[in-house]
Amino acid sequence: MSIKYIPKDITEETNVNVTRRHPLKNFIYLLTTVVVVSVVIFFALGYTASWLVTRISPENEARIGNLLYDTISETEITDDRRIYYLDELLHNMLNLGENARLPLTIHLIDTEVVNAAIMPGGHVLINTGLLQEVKSENELAFILAHELGHFQHQDPLKSLGRSLVVLSALAAVGVGTSSSSGGLSEVVSWTGEMTILHYSRTQERQADEYGLERITNHYGHGNYSLEFFNRLKEEDDEFYQVSQYFDSHPQNQERINYLSKLAVNNNWDMKGDITPLPNWINCPDMDEMQCEVE
Amino acid sequence: MILTTLETVPGKNITEHYGLVQGSTIRAKHIGKDIMAGFKNIVGGELKSYTELLQEAREEAVKRMEDQAEQKGANAVVNIRFATSSVAQGAAELFAYGTAVKVE
Amino acid sequence: MENILQVLFVLFLMIIGYLFGSYREKRHFKSLQQREKNTLHLSVANFGNQQALIAEVTETKLIVGSVVISIDYFKKISAILRNLVGGKVIVYESLLDRSRREAVLRMKEQAIEWQAKQVLNVRLETVAIGGRFGGRTDPGSIEVIAYGTGVK
Repeated sequence: MSIKYIPKDITEETNVNVTRRHPLKNFIYLLTTVVVVSVVIFFALGYTASWLVTRISPENEARIGNLLYDTISETEITDDRRIYYLDELLHNMLNLGENARLPLTIHLIDTEVVNAAIMPGGHVLINTGLLQEVKSENELAFILAHELGHFQHQDPLKSLGRSLVVLSALAAVGVGTSSSSGGLSEVVSWTGEMTILHYSRTQERQADEYGLERITNHYGHGNYSLEFFNRLKEEDDEFYQVSQYFDSHPQNQERINYLSKLAVNNNWDMKGDITPLPNWINCPDMDEMQCEVE
Repeated sequence: MILTTLETVPGKNITEHYGLVQGSTIRAKHIGKDIMAGFKNIVGGELKSYTELLQEAREEAVKRMEDQAEQKGANAVVNIRFATSSVAQGAAELFAYGTAVKVE
Repeated sequence: MENILQVLFVLFLMIIGYLFGSYREKRHFKSLQQREKNTLHLSVANFGNQQALIAEVTETKLIVGSVVISIDYFKKISAILRNLVGGKVIVYESLLDRSRREAVLRMKEQAIEWQAKQVLNVRLETVAIGGRFGGRTDPGSIEVIAYGTGVK
């Protein structure tokens, strides 16, 4: 006896093989979960790494710093009197009896980009582009003192540690490196760049405080030292290069406001005379004659 | 509901059949388990979390197939076959299908 | 700047994928339902000749129905996120359901054209086909094959 076929249509609306949930709702749930968890992990790893790197011995930090410095391909200007000037100015920013955690080395980099940075191991990078932008010694000294503040607080090392840990974590997971994740890898590397390469706001603020305190100690007043940021604020639109670098720093206006308040609270004098820059600040040694004519 | 991989239900008579029924589900492990499995891959051995995941998925797929058979008014599914496919990285699809029948 | 553009581009593709993808999916489900109704009279079973079946079989033929359906960008990104979180990959469920039903339908439609009385021993096969980005595990689309033996 053969089996009879009875045609039966499924009249019910529910499709058993498809979960009833709106795809957008599902997507939002997924995105929130991933973002929240990554932020938590990122900060947890970041803090652990920052804590760990501060235990590195000074010798090892110097070694790491040298390795890192070797990766920089920018042209460095050597045997220039401006280096000695910058070196003296930088060391003047240290309080009496205060020592830099490691010997500081000034590197004058020949590039138009307006930037100054400090690396682990005490390598201070100053671009000639920055020297062209500053209008007084007070301004330049504040920038140097700010970077010195970062160094004394071990910020470059912490930032390095955090990026190393986070990058290796990302690599271990395979996110951001595998071609299979397509669009997501772009998102991950983008947020990675945004957060890893920069100091935190607190670190910036502490470096600013350090800087202004040293400036007042050295010059007896803090006048003119913040002029650079005032100008940046006004020229933000005109000088894209400039604003690009300082994007990572607190908003210029906010920063000036905060520092002015700090000066008032600490009774730091914000009035005083300007200290000019040497007139050869933008002259390479060999062009000395030409510059003096100007 | 009688489920069997045989073409018949032993001891019973199939009187009517209603065509194919299928149930499927696709599941992914969370990334933590993926990483642990990666470590386990070094030393070998059973990947408990994966076994569990596939087990759950299989149960769900069978459940869905049963539901569909019920929607057709069947009381048994014969000649059940399972299939797995990897349609997405790190996710496994479990698929079960059979013929919905009425037995007496 | 470049990074922001990249993110915007991904977002743009996702919105396009979602809008068109869900529209086409809705339309496909509607057409599936209609065609399933039209082909309902054909007996399809995945058991074979162990059963006493219709009398007087004079002819048999291998009948195959297959379909390749691509995964839209929105579903892809959702699945990547789901991969991190774990759980049911909901967005792919509808895709697989559509593909299977379409493959079976195509098989049935062919069988009807051949004037089959029944299709027996039906088997289904699912394959992920490599995607445009060329990653080894990146499915751009899935293929489902349904095959069985038609008798008349």
